[in-house]
Amino acid sequence: MATGNPLYANPKLCKHLADYKLRHALSCYKSLQNCLKTTPNGRTSIYRSETKITRCCSCNGYQGRFLLCLICSSISCSSHALLHAQSENGHDVAVDIERSELYCCLCSDQVYDPDFDKVVVSKIMMDMPNNTHVDDGIRRSSKRRKLNSLMDLDLKKSKHLVLMRDRREKSCYPLGLRGLNNLGSTCFMNSVLQALLYAPPFRNYFLSGRHDRETCRKRSSDRLCLACNIDVIFSAVYSGDRTPYSPAQFLYSWWQHSANLASYEQQDAHEFFISVLDGIHEREGNGRIPTKDNGDCQCIAHRVFSGMLRSDVTCMTCGFTSTTYDPCLDISLNMNTNNLSSIDVANKSVRPNENSTRCTLSACLDLFTRPEKLGSDQKLYCQNCKEKRDSFKQMSVRRLPLVLSLHIKRFEHSAVRRMSRKIDWHLQFPFSLDMTSYLSSSIVRSRFGNRIFTFESNEADTSPEFEIFAVITHSGMLESGHYVTYLRLRNQWYKCDDAWITEVDEAIVRASQCYMIFYVQKMLYYKANEDWSCTPMSSRKDPFFPIAGCC
Amino acid sequence: RNSVNRPPTPDAAEDLGKEPMFQEIINIKLIESGEKERLMELLRERLIECGWKDEMKALCRAFIKKKGRNDVTVDDLVRVITPKGRASIPDYIKAELLQRIRAYLVQAAV
Repeated sequence: MATGNPLYANPKLCKHLADYKLRHALSCYKSLQNCLKTTPNGRTSIYRSETKITRCCSCNGYQGRFLLCLICSSISCSSHALLHAQSENGHDVAVDIERSELYCCLCSDQVYDPDFDKVVVSKIMMDMPNNTHVDDGIRRSSKRRKLNSLMDLDLKKSKHLVLMRDRREKSCYPLGLRGLNNLGSTCFMNSVLQALLYAPPFRNYFLSGRHDRETCRKRSSDRLCLACNIDVIFSAVYSGDRTPYSPAQFLYSWWQHSANLASYEQQDAHEFFISVLDGIHEREGNGRIPTKDNGDCQCIAHRVFSGMLRSDVTCMTCGFTSTTYDPCLDISLNMNTNNLSSIDVANKSVRPNENSTRCTLSACLDLFTRPEKLGSDQKLYCQNCKEKRDSFKQMSVRRLPLVLSLHIKRFEHSAVRRMSRKIDWHLQFPFSLDMTSYLSSSIVRSRFGNRIFTFESNEADTSPEFEIFAVITHSGMLESGHYVTYLRLRNQWYKCDDAWITEVDEAIVRASQCYMIFYVQKMLYYKANEDWSCTPMSSRKDPFFPIAGCC
Repeated sequence: RNSVNRPPTPDAAEDLGKEPMFQEIINIKLIESGEKERLMELLRERLIECGWKDEMKALCRAFIKKKGRNDVTVDDLVRVITPKGRASIPDYIKAELLQRIRAYLVQAAV
């Protein structure tokens, strides 16, 4: 992981901790390692037997923060830690039981020691078997095996936490469902990765080994190829191992690609999505893959996600229309705010039985394709009238991609008022989406009134009918929310919340606050559903690795 | 030992031959069954969702700014934000947790 702020890398030890380290070296840290218990969400605490209630040795209290003395293992509550250090000479340093963090009883303050953190982190790494961490000097596979036998109980416990309510159904989960560990506000990454892992054409490409890591590595020695890293993730997730996976190497690789976004802060999932697709295109599309006649890029990112938007600007005076075409990886939709009254605008939570014209996805798509009058300060030059005229603009979809990604613009940034806010309104979205009325053919035709003739018939190759397969939802506030992905496999919805995967009812998904919605063409969806069954595969057009260990 | 180092006066209840109070029994039951850990996870999730954690962070930052970075201990921060923190927990979270505890007690009593 990135080293980050140098101030954090070398904190100054208080003199009590320094004394302690001189006397005891790292032996106590190491013995403490055996008592560490990690939960999938990264919380590491000191393992205490289930039935033992933690009590302070001085006051016998059972509430509050508890500190474990590193010398004598006696437990004090935070009020009596000082007392313990004063009454026993040398018992200065303790560990917070809940958080596995060092505390100096005499300074009455938390203290930091890189050596201690290294010990804790290496334990976390050991508990996650398939983590391909970048600076991996700590891990030794033999040590891991020994510790694994000691930590049998702990590992079972963390697996129990991962698949809590659905343990009985674990063996019948579809292929490839695997939790992703949060590496520090990386739910934005995890949520997008889960959606990508299940986009049928994207998934088939990687699982059939079409991205060859060997030849890719030979060609370029400098920067790590993002697609290679994704390939690694695909292999790990579809390996049959159900323990949560840490995409640390991918994160590191993406940081190198998008240096401006590299930090431990929460990022925008949509921004990340675009950044990843760009990263794949950059490496794959540059001249290596022959482009088709119409200049379309043949990299996997574009083949799957790229569509074409059409923009028509019409002069209001003479009706002359100028048309431009722009490729797009997704469609960003504004939420339809016009229908709601001023009272509802203030009211953050829209109750179901209230307003009948609430936000729906079709309303947003209608808004997207609605003719928009350009302001009088935005007069455009009309070639027919030979001067600047009032005009209106209309968007439509010229060509639909295989996977349609819709982004709901919930985050409003107002540069004028210098504030940002999140629109919390619930958006109703269908599981089956028909994009016919938003195609250019339909939009353009409607300009001429209610006619029968067909327009731009070459759009008919791609079907306008889509089926949903993933939803990325955002909950919470603008800066500190949490992203969760819901996946639909074989008509069962699964909630992917970082490392936790559970089956959920479709009502939950419908009620969720969608941020990005992923639809795939209907034919591909039904074909993919056949692939995802647990029974062994017969020969198919797209080779799909039969992976053992599912049921 | 010095009187300064004497532990604080214990609760009146503990004087009565350490009879565990009802609250304590519930706590023990919750911990033993693992329910407390689940409730803690739920509480953490809710407090993050509603922005409470961020408010607390902001309070801490403000306090540190005022006192100076090198003069603040973790105990200070805990002492300062605890009353404000307890007071600002949204009612619906309290209600949800109470409901969960109630439900747990009902099924544990059976």
